[in-house]
Amino acid sequence: MPFNLRDTGATLWANSNKWQRYLIAGVIIVGAFALPLLEGTFLNTPRTPFVSVLFYPIGVYVLMALGLNVVVGKSGLLDLGYVAFYAVGAYTAGILSMHTKLNTWEILPVGIALAMLSGFVLGAAVLRLRGDYLAIVTLGFGEIIRITALNSSAVGGANGISNIPNPPTTFGFTFDLESDRNYYWVVLILIIITILIIRGLSARRPGRAWESIRQDEDVAELMGVNTYKYKLWAFVFGASVGGAAGVLFASKAMFIAPNIFNYNISILILAFVVFGGMGNIWGVVFGAVLLSYIPERIRFISEARMLIFGLVLIIMMNLRPDGLLPRKKREKIGIAGGEIK
Amino acid sequence: MSNQPVLELKNVTMQFGGVKALNQVNLQVNKGEICALIGPNGAGKTTVFNVVTGVYVPTDGEILFNGKSLKGKNRHKITKMGIARTFQNVRLFGEMTSLENVITATDVHNKSGLVGSILNTPRSRREEKAGREKAHEILKFMGIDHRSDQLAKNLPYGDQRRLEIARALGTSPEIVLLDEPAAGFNPSEKKSLAELIVKIRDRGYTVLLIEHDMSLIMGISDRVAVLDFGEKIADDLPSVVQNNPKVIEAYLGVPADAS
Ligand SMILES: Nc1ncnc2c1ncn2[C@@H]1O[C@H](COP(=O)(O)OP(=O)(O)OP(=O)(O)O)[C@@H](O)[C@H]1O
Ligand SMILES: [Mg+2]
Repeated sequence: MPFNLRDTGATLWANSNKWQRYLIAGVIIVGAFALPLLEGTFLNTPRTPFVSVLFYPIGVYVLMALGLNVVVGKSGLLDLGYVAFYAVGAYTAGILSMHTKLNTWEILPVGIALAMLSGFVLGAAVLRLRGDYLAIVTLGFGEIIRITALNSSAVGGANGISNIPNPPTTFGFTFDLESDRNYYWVVLILIIITILIIRGLSARRPGRAWESIRQDEDVAELMGVNTYKYKLWAFVFGASVGGAAGVLFASKAMFIAPNIFNYNISILILAFVVFGGMGNIWGVVFGAVLLSYIPERIRFISEARMLIFGLVLIIMMNLRPDGLLPRKKREKIGIAGGEIK
Repeated sequence: MSNQPVLELKNVTMQFGGVKALNQVNLQVNKGEICALIGPNGAGKTTVFNVVTGVYVPTDGEILFNGKSLKGKNRHKITKMGIARTFQNVRLFGEMTSLENVITATDVHNKSGLVGSILNTPRSRREEKAGREKAHEILKFMGIDHRSDQLAKNLPYGDQRRLEIARALGTSPEIVLLDEPAAGFNPSEKKSLAELIVKIRDRGYTVLLIEHDMSLIMGISDRVAVLDFGEKIADDLPSVVQNNPKVIEAYLGVPADAS
């Protein structure tokens, strides 16, 4: 049998006891926190500081890919306007810092809540639609948010909002232009929390509901799944993650403008999800890391880099149409009486 | 067996464009019985299941479950009330294991949702455990517990049909609607499925069964209703229906006395 990272990993995990699992998780987490140490190695990105790349695009995009994965990968709802929630989070940070003295950590829950609210409103309106219709309407929603911001002088119109404050010094960690590492660690913490939550959901009732909806929505409903409610929850959850990413991004960038939030971002995040393996958390993480890192790494060939990026995508999707690490199949092979097809 | 009706269709008409798939159909299924629904292809049998489970809203007429009208009820609500079904063309969640297929159905009566699952509350833990145990128990009852961890799509055909029934039972229904559960079975498979259906009834479920195989029907049904071109043409004990000239005509396409 050819080596299969997904199955090898899954088997290792399944065969580990509680302490071994803590150990594995601990090694992964410590490793992730230690990534800034790789600055200056062959991994270095030429034009932008490596550690800053770890925060944005990598960290922010991984976070967003995780959120979108619940919507697209787990529930099968094609959302092409995911950037809208990112924008809502970022603009919440911008507007609140203009008018209030709230700091980033206080703004974060507000941004998440407003993103959830917009996810709820959009979801309630469009989740009776399916497939292509849903894709088109969500695409439109993403653009509406951007165009509204563009035309609202209260949020700076095309000029956007500048002078958004950095987060305050917290537990001795400063957040300014020099502290790329600390920003990365914050986004990493959010990523870890998000992964833990998604894992909890996936293994329990909501995960089954989403999975059944993705596979056969009509049958799911007839088996008692309140499909509308769970689709709405998927949307709201995805929105909350996008909103968090938006707040964080704005607090580091200190400046936001409508053109940052165009539909390319939605498509890019969707590409991470598909490339990594729809529905599989680790696949999506790897996909987002690779695809947001590669363009930075090869920035020196500037013009050609998006071309190469596209080529990598095309080749990959031909070699592995289900993504880098496809959804785990979870089938135990060789059990009594079970013939293998 | 009592005469207490679990499911009642009253003058139900279902029209698709120009086609009356059901025309003023009256049908009563009593508690604890195996009621068979037969008829030639296109007679409207599956349509009965579809209007009962809320897939289609009948053009006219009323459907009562334990005396309560199902009008305007969502499909998942109808399932929660106690009506479960299988599908003529197997429609399992292929990418889930057999066990997960059944657990998904047991979830219908659970209380914990997203927040409970995130926080892993005691109730969520309790419900997860109970669902798993119940699903195993049902799979065992259906004789396919050894398939628990296999993906539904990889099961042999006969076990897929059994898993369909298991999943329906997972919702803890009062009545199960089985749409041709023995389709494609050989005689010995049919025989064992017939025994299983009797066992299901003996466990306290009421069964409404669509089936083409007459010997299976006659062997286990308490009552047989016959549909032809959307109309009910007979409804009686199996032995009586068997000799009903209208039924023979519907099946053979010629008047009984002409043959
Ligand atoms: N959604 C629909 N739209 C249009 N016509 C339909 C629809 N569903 C069923 N019909 C028609 O209603 C009639 C009854 O169909 P139904 O599936 O209930 O038959 P059946 O008795 O289950 O037949 P079979 O034994 O072949 O399964 C058929 O003429 C069918 O074409
Ligand atoms: Mg049918």
